[in-house]
Amino acid sequence: MTTQTLMTMQPSLSATGAKPRMPILAMKGIRKSFGSFPALRGIDLDLYPGECVGLIGDNAAGKSTLTKVMAGTYLPDDGAIFVEGSEVRFAGPADARARHIEMVYQDLSLCDTVDVVGNLFLGREMCKGGMLQRKRMLAEARTLLDRLKIRIPNLNGTVEQLSGGQRQSIAIARAASFSPRVLIMDEPTSALAVAEVDAVLDLINRVKAQGVAVVLITHRLQDLFRVCDRIAVMYEGTKIAERQLEETSLEDLVQLIVGRRHG
Amino acid sequence: MSTTSYTEREIGSRSRDYFAANAQVLSIAGFFIGCCAVFSLGSSTFLTAGNALNVLRQLAPILVVAIAMTFVITTGGIDLSVGSMAALTNALVAILIHHGVPWPAAVVAILALGGAIGWLQGWISASQAIPSFIVTLATMSTLRGIALYSTKGFSVPIESGTGFDFIGTGTLFGIPVPALIAVIVSAVGYVYLNRGRYGRRVVAVGSNAEAARRAGMPTLRIKTSVFLLTGLASAAAGLILASRLGSGSSNAGAGFELDVIAAVVLGGTSLMGGRATITGTILGSLTIAVIGNGLILMHISPFFTQIITGLIILGAIWLNTRVFGRYKSAKK
Repeated sequence: MTTQTLMTMQPSLSATGAKPRMPILAMKGIRKSFGSFPALRGIDLDLYPGECVGLIGDNAAGKSTLTKVMAGTYLPDDGAIFVEGSEVRFAGPADARARHIEMVYQDLSLCDTVDVVGNLFLGREMCKGGMLQRKRMLAEARTLLDRLKIRIPNLNGTVEQLSGGQRQSIAIARAASFSPRVLIMDEPTSALAVAEVDAVLDLINRVKAQGVAVVLITHRLQDLFRVCDRIAVMYEGTKIAERQLEETSLEDLVQLIVGRRHG
Repeated sequence: MSTTSYTEREIGSRSRDYFAANAQVLSIAGFFIGCCAVFSLGSSTFLTAGNALNVLRQLAPILVVAIAMTFVITTGGIDLSVGSMAALTNALVAILIHHGVPWPAAVVAILALGGAIGWLQGWISASQAIPSFIVTLATMSTLRGIALYSTKGFSVPIESGTGFDFIGTGTLFGIPVPALIAVIVSAVGYVYLNRGRYGRRVVAVGSNAEAARRAGMPTLRIKTSVFLLTGLASAAAGLILASRLGSGSSNAGAGFELDVIAAVVLGGTSLMGGRATITGTILGSLTIAVIGNGLILMHISPFFTQIITGLIILGAIWLNTRVFGRYKSAKK
């Protein structure tokens, strides 16, 4: 498996230490209301390096709100966020980004008419005297995509010419290239064909193998069993269950989502 | 081994890829050559060096503004006020020189004024989220009105022999100065749009403004700055016209905005934003200029030229979007 080879290639980043692990991101008692509607009613969640946490739940359960709190887009009303043990307050997405927390948005945020290299370097173009250093960016982009084993034949082609899976991969690669320590993905596979889903899930495994904590929101429960280590189930703004992958099943998760397993 | 198996789009043949990427520029290039062929058959004077220089001189104001307009249209905006701006600056520079202001000072002041008004329009449109179509439609009327008011509708003569007429009628190395200005502006526009960080930002904002904002680009500033460019370019066009004709008039540049926008769109820059080509804009401007020149040389009634120009533009754009557009990528 690719995952294994990458793990051994980068032992320093692997998450399997003997000592008790320190969560890279810890959330305690997060609350967030929109008007009178309590979207989050006190959520605790820890994320560890090199681990993928699946975040599932019915619509309006609070999954997206929670990830937006992590990414600094929403400010929580109450509760605390810790990055590597020290408490932080995010004033906006830029603060979260400075702490290496990256988010892949559901709409991908790609510029269709800009080429692949341009999208990978969007907003942080390498420049010299106001001019783009195109060769340097092309070389860097090639290295980045090779490292993630993403195959795009023509990096100077525009993004609109690519398939859905390739577009998704570029969005993930861009987030991954900011050397994130937490990577949040909101429904990365919702609009993809079967082969493309496989490619994206493989990619998540590779990012994970590099020591990144991954948060995955998805409605495709079968995907969880391919990439996740732990699954948090949300129901009406609370986290009603947290399961290690090996101690749960599809049936169990479905019961939790629809809310039959609790009062 | 896990394999990355997308439903991958193949790399096509290189020539086909090239054709697909440049279909619109190639189509307008073909159309331009076709026009030239027809006119040189229809008139013996069309294909002479003298006429070519004449076309270049007449082309300059359109081309200078069309280059700036390419940036505006690339962000998904449009600037309808360029003709009125040219009229206003055209009138004001004549008034300034008439009142004894040295012409270099007048030129600098007029360029600064054009840039400032352009910036203000862009700022109103971007910061207040009013479509630039509406903002510049309003300023189109206002600026023309100011020009009319300040000249009282008369043409203001500019005394010859001050050196100001060099901008519009002079030659340098045998090439008309307006043509040189247009060439320099085109070269700078080409480099900045295709190789510069500024151009990349303009294209990104036009392609997906929200993505650009999330990526940390100053989207408001970019959307504002492109109108500064059209303001500046329109002022330059106004100066070239005033210098060439030796007078300032509030009626200058009537219908100018339509010629400029037609040139940009003929070249293949998308009105939806995000897709830009300076080469196309240059060819589009050349085509507009050549049609105007060629029809006159063929002794076609000037009343007909407007009709024919309109029909030719419609035909060329139809060719561009419907026929050659098919060679673009299948998606969207």
